[in-house]
Amino acid sequence: MTAVDTGLAAEYAAIYAYGAMAVHLDGDPRTLAEALESEHRSRRDALLDYYDAHGLEAAPSQAGYDIEHVEDAAGAEAVLLAVELNVTTAWRSGVAATEPTEREISMRMYADSAVSLARWRLAVGQPFADPWPGRPE
Amino acid sequence: MFTTRRGLLIGAVALAAAGCTRETAQIITSDADLTTALNTARWLAAAADALDFGDLAEDHRAHVTTLERLLRPNVVPVVEDLGQLPADDAALAEAEATGSRQAADACLATESDFAVVLGEIAASRAAHAAVLA
Repeated sequence: MTAVDTGLAAEYAAIYAYGAMAVHLDGDPRTLAEALESEHRSRRDALLDYYDAHGLEAAPSQAGYDIEHVEDAAGAEAVLLAVELNVTTAWRSGVAATEPTEREISMRMYADSAVSLARWRLAVGQPFADPWPGRPE
Repeated sequence: MFTTRRGLLIGAVALAAAGCTRETAQIITSDADLTTALNTARWLAAAADALDFGDLAEDHRAHVTTLERLLRPNVVPVVEDLGQLPADDAALAEAEATGSRQAADACLATESDFAVVLGEIAASRAAHAAVLA
């Protein structure tokens, strides 16, 4: 499994999670959630273009993902925070790739995902500053 | 001196252990990418402090601490004259974005083991820029 495969899998899972969680959100968090879901879809599409351009076969998304069942906005916000962190961590690991194109796409996706993570942290009232986005603790 | 094969082997091991081999000594030189990232991190920390973004300044200081450690035993002198610092949030956002691109370019170009740390710094600065913008 390549770094891009791992990142694509994380983007698929994020799209699924936003679809499942948005119903619990209202107001600004809902608006931002919809914007971030759209960004994840754009990244997925860019990645699928990358696979096509390189004659590679992308893994399809799964029919479902194992995400926590939530009842309210606070639960949905927490799930989506974990999702954004997971995506950022996945792309961070791709930056270590020795294959130049893989490293380049991972770096671009990593910076974008760090931005999404910061925006979601702000939306849910958490500090957004982070010197090492996505670094496992 | 080494009259037997075993004696010759022991002698070779002793000489190698003492550092008396023909291996070329390597001079530890400062990594240019890390040095550039360090100078930018110091400047961005001062810039963020000047505009009262203490949390952003803390991120940059974390980068400074790590980069200084990675560069040891080399020490990069602190530049006293930081030049003109950003006058407002928009200018700081632009400076963060420029610093992010600089670190990302270094991440992509480096052949060292520091690609991830340079990538992390680029991502952190990109997040700062986006939130400030």
